[in-house]
Amino acid sequence: MTDPNNDMLDDLFAEVRNVAPKPSDDLVARVLADAVVPIRKSAPAPQRSLLNRALDLIGGWPAVGGLVAATMTGLWVGVAPPAAVEDLTASLLGDQVSVGIFTDDIGFDIGLTADG
Amino acid sequence: MNTPSDPFAGAPDATLLVAFANGDGDAARLLTARLLPRVLAQATRMLANASEAEDVAQEAMIRLWKIAPDWEQGQAQVSTWLYRVVANLCTDRLRKRRGGVSLDQVAEPEDDTPSVADQMQTNARMQALSDALAQLPERQAQAVALRHLEGLANPEIAQIMDISVRSVESLTARGKRALADIMAGRKAELGYQDD
Repeated sequence: MTDPNNDMLDDLFAEVRNVAPKPSDDLVARVLADAVVPIRKSAPAPQRSLLNRALDLIGGWPAVGGLVAATMTGLWVGVAPPAAVEDLTASLLGDQVSVGIFTDDIGFDIGLTADG
Repeated sequence: MNTPSDPFAGAPDATLLVAFANGDGDAARLLTARLLPRVLAQATRMLANASEAEDVAQEAMIRLWKIAPDWEQGQAQVSTWLYRVVANLCTDRLRKRRGGVSLDQVAEPEDDTPSVADQMQTNARMQALSDALAQLPERQAQAVALRHLEGLANPEIAQIMDISVRSVESLTARGKRALADIMAGRKAELGYQDD
């Protein structure tokens, strides 16, 4: 036995399925006006650290390598100058002069006093 | 609406969507020609209100344009995705009706239409069905509409609603029974013979 309410619904569903309105020109125009390609969201640039920004200023790690080499060379020349550098210094500034802070005979005097 | 000649003839909707995302204006026109009629029809059948259906159709298409750059070919069919979006937008509207205010805004047929009486009766029936759908739980309303108003098969509805086929069967069965109960009292008013 069929349910009359179900039959009514089935008729109604069939009737509604036939409803297919044609989009108005106005609606089509509105839809096309909306059809703007959204800008793809790009990932934000990562925040660079202070060290990295300082490195950027001087030219990056290769520049740091050069600076370290130059510094070490300067330090080495200061600690153990080659003979050529000493000669050059002497010729520019004059002979090397040693200055003592004690008199030469102070030890002798102390020794004499102790013995005597 | 003029249908532009189709340089993408036979191409899937997803291909057109990618072309649109790459800035092809023709792809947008072709997608609109292909998809808007079906989107508008689905919204009209659920809402029985021309103005609301147009708003829903426009909103669904806006969402399609927005998702275009992120669309992954092969993830889902564009039509499946659109069915879901329209169904959700429609149930959102139906929920607002549930406050008890029935929107009798079905477009009136032009007076010189020969079948004006038939058209008015169809409109009244659609309105009654839409109001009855508004009284169902939203998932039931969506399943019933997709099954009986769009004529889709249960596996396709399962994909659209992201549920199992068994759940679709349960939702449509319960929804249809509830609709029949709601509509029973309006049978004579809507011109159905009681036999």
